[in-house]
Amino acid sequence: MLETTDVTAAARPRLTLHRPPRGTAVRAAVTAVLLLFVLLALPQLLSLYYVDAMTQVAVYAVVSLGLGVLVGRVGLVSLGQIAVLAVGAWVAARLLFATAQPYPLVLLESGVITMGAGTIIGLPALRLRGLYLALITLMLAGAFSIVLATTNFPNGGHGFLGYNGKLLQIPPIRRPSFAATDPAYFRFAVVVAIIMFALVFVHIRTRPGRAWAAIRQSEPAALAAGINATLYKLWAFALASFVTGVAGGVYAGAAHYLYSYDFPAQNSIILLAVVLMGGAYNMWGAVVAGFLSQFLPALLNNWGVSNDWLTILFGIGVVQVLTTAPRGLADQFPKDMARLGRLIVRLIRRPAPAAAGGEAS
Amino acid sequence: MPSWQEFQPFIVTGLALGGVYALSGVGLVVLYQATGVVYLAFGAVGAMGALITFSLIAAGMPHWLAWLVCLAFGGAVTLAYGMVFGPLLARRDALVKATATLGLLLVLFGAMDLLWTTSGGEVRSLTLPTDSGGFSLGHVQVTWTQVLGLGVGVLIAGATAAFLRYTKLGTAMRAMANDREITATLGVPVRRVEAAAWLGCGVLAGVAGLLLADMVALDATTLTFLVISSLAAALIARLRSIAFTFVAAIVIGLVQNMLVPIPAVSSYNDMTPFVLAAVALLVLARRQVMTRSREET
Amino acid sequence: MIVVTDLTVRFGGVTSLDNMSVTFDSGTCGLIGPNGAGKTTFFNVLSGFVRPAAGSVRAFDEDLLSMVHYRRARWGLRRTFQTEQAIEELSVYDNVAMVHEHARQPGGSRRGDVRDAISFVGLDVDPAATVGTLGAGQRRLVEVARAVVGRPRLVLLDEPAAGLPEAETENLAAVIRRIPERTGALTILVDHDMSLVSACCETTAVLDFGELIASGPTAQVLRDERVMRAYLGTAEVA
Repeated sequence: MLETTDVTAAARPRLTLHRPPRGTAVRAAVTAVLLLFVLLALPQLLSLYYVDAMTQVAVYAVVSLGLGVLVGRVGLVSLGQIAVLAVGAWVAARLLFATAQPYPLVLLESGVITMGAGTIIGLPALRLRGLYLALITLMLAGAFSIVLATTNFPNGGHGFLGYNGKLLQIPPIRRPSFAATDPAYFRFAVVVAIIMFALVFVHIRTRPGRAWAAIRQSEPAALAAGINATLYKLWAFALASFVTGVAGGVYAGAAHYLYSYDFPAQNSIILLAVVLMGGAYNMWGAVVAGFLSQFLPALLNNWGVSNDWLTILFGIGVVQVLTTAPRGLADQFPKDMARLGRLIVRLIRRPAPAAAGGEAS
Repeated sequence: MPSWQEFQPFIVTGLALGGVYALSGVGLVVLYQATGVVYLAFGAVGAMGALITFSLIAAGMPHWLAWLVCLAFGGAVTLAYGMVFGPLLARRDALVKATATLGLLLVLFGAMDLLWTTSGGEVRSLTLPTDSGGFSLGHVQVTWTQVLGLGVGVLIAGATAAFLRYTKLGTAMRAMANDREITATLGVPVRRVEAAAWLGCGVLAGVAGLLLADMVALDATTLTFLVISSLAAALIARLRSIAFTFVAAIVIGLVQNMLVPIPAVSSYNDMTPFVLAAVALLVLARRQVMTRSREET
Repeated sequence: MIVVTDLTVRFGGVTSLDNMSVTFDSGTCGLIGPNGAGKTTFFNVLSGFVRPAAGSVRAFDEDLLSMVHYRRARWGLRRTFQTEQAIEELSVYDNVAMVHEHARQPGGSRRGDVRDAISFVGLDVDPAATVGTLGAGQRRLVEVARAVVGRPRLVLLDEPAAGLPEAETENLAAVIRRIPERTGALTILVDHDMSLVSACCETTAVLDFGELIASGPTAQVLRDERVMRAYLGTAEVA
């Protein structure tokens, strides 16, 4: 690791000559201001209903970040990240019920344990090529959801599973003492999210990030350059699992009560959809993805519009992103629906033969 | 451990379901061979078709017509998707093509929940006339629907294998699995062959949708994700062999159902397709050595 | 010295390499043959992407095939590919430094080694420039730089001049000629451009349908009747 910092430090004077320093500084300043606003002002401005939704945005932004690393940086598609989230929530709930540990420690532990589980499962799977890897994550997620339906989430019971089906009064999952109220918990969730984003950011800017770029470009070329592709892919899986596990812990405290139907199978697909739409490559894309999957539904719910319209929108979004992205699954921020509109117009015009007199669609 | 007699009804249901998984698996394999697309929306299409049939029957349409609508719906939606997005994504790798079908899955899924919501606790069911009536085999009652499930599975698998081997269209499909570009230069009407594959697969999705709606449940989520069982069979067959798909599908159906009467594992029986497919994929991986860079998909 | 003995590779029913035995001495060696002759397959065996059905490869008296593929870079293997592989989103510096880093070359000398490699190939751009902004010829030079950085022992160049205009091909030829003396590495060059091969390679081996049909001093091999028949006799799908 020392060598890498030596290199980047030595190269930095050159880099700043090339990139306009003002651009990055301005962006950093804007980000900082935005974060301060979110942390301090936002909870006062929103009703509790929306504060709750924003907490979910924070959670799912982190989950989307994890998937974004896999899809956007390395080029691996996982259709099982919601199962990973459920594992994180499960571990956190178990620890919170069984021990009196401080919340941040529990989050760390759920992250580590989830990371372990994710890595063990990832290990044999990583030798599979793109499509088969995606399918096996789908299979494993499916298998897991069935196990979860049978074992349930911990609810204060005893034994390894911590589930007591006969409890009449289920205790809520506790929150940290310093963040018991919803607005305070929201701030806590945002802080955790910031830390997770920072962790991923560091990865991307250093050796693993560059190795991932090489693997995404071409795995044989990366291997020929001496990169242990399996190791770095595993590392990406571990990182994604870790942050998702931590997010699961935050989710547990936010929800107070966990049920297996909180993690339905289609959510993994919807997660992939919003990550693609938000932009898998860009870290801001993860935030957008969080908004799409958690804030919009809350908004629509409030207005009495069914969430199904969002599901349909996400489906269209997936196809739009994939057909217009020039290279692979990880590219540009699909700017607006205007592009989608243009696509639809093109599709409508397409079957019309070269008929004279311009047939309007 | 349950007795042989207690297993028998589950063997019957297992074979029947396995037959339907087989016909679905065959549809998936043929489409993949002809277009390179793993059609993950297969179950969703069948589900929506079945729900449409349900509504049409409730509105008074004669049953047989309503079933035909289901098949037509499956064929039409699949063909439309294939004709629009097939060419757009033709040059992309298999992962991108498969992910795109997830988009179709979501659109159908949302539409189904919108039009046939279950939030009020509604439970719908689809019955086929073959449900009533059957015969006894030993100690078991076998309905005609179950015979139909297995029978259609056998029929489709056999007919498709013969079709691929002996007809011009089938041979063309096999050629395209190898190399679409070269097949095109040989004068094979590639788009027409693809259209046939999409249409055929879509119709099979409709058939599977009806049968599964009857045998399992008329529920959007259940039916959409039942594609995984068929997909598992197709994966075990390496997305290549019709015969292996058929055998794998029957095995999945059997194992899944025969676990039910065993108390220790009963609630985990639905894991069968997932576990079997995962194992199959991993075995596949071990035999695979890194291939050439991007030249080979 | 690379000694290949009875190398055989089969893909399903196709035999890509058929009992190929050849020795590559020092300097720059050419490897030519019609399309589909097995040249890239041979490189893939050397890289470790393809496991041969039979045969052995001894590189500088070590068994190359027993090494795990990603470890071969550390041993000193470098390679360029037919399709562009320089990473577009990273800078020139990072692209070259990455090879240096993963080949476990000492970190202290990294900056110097990378700069040397970049100037050796004659790439006159800011090392911090993103590869995505460079032209095709420059990207090829980045790839060659990646192939010569550090202390390579065996450099494989797979059609480095493909798609380049003549001036850049000549420039590339000059660079390739200097590789052995500067790095001490044995270089194997695969290309269809005969003038490039003649200009760079002292010796050349010829493959056709997976079999070695000629090998020896380049000028002699290029005049060999069997070689000409192999090229003219088969319709080249260019």
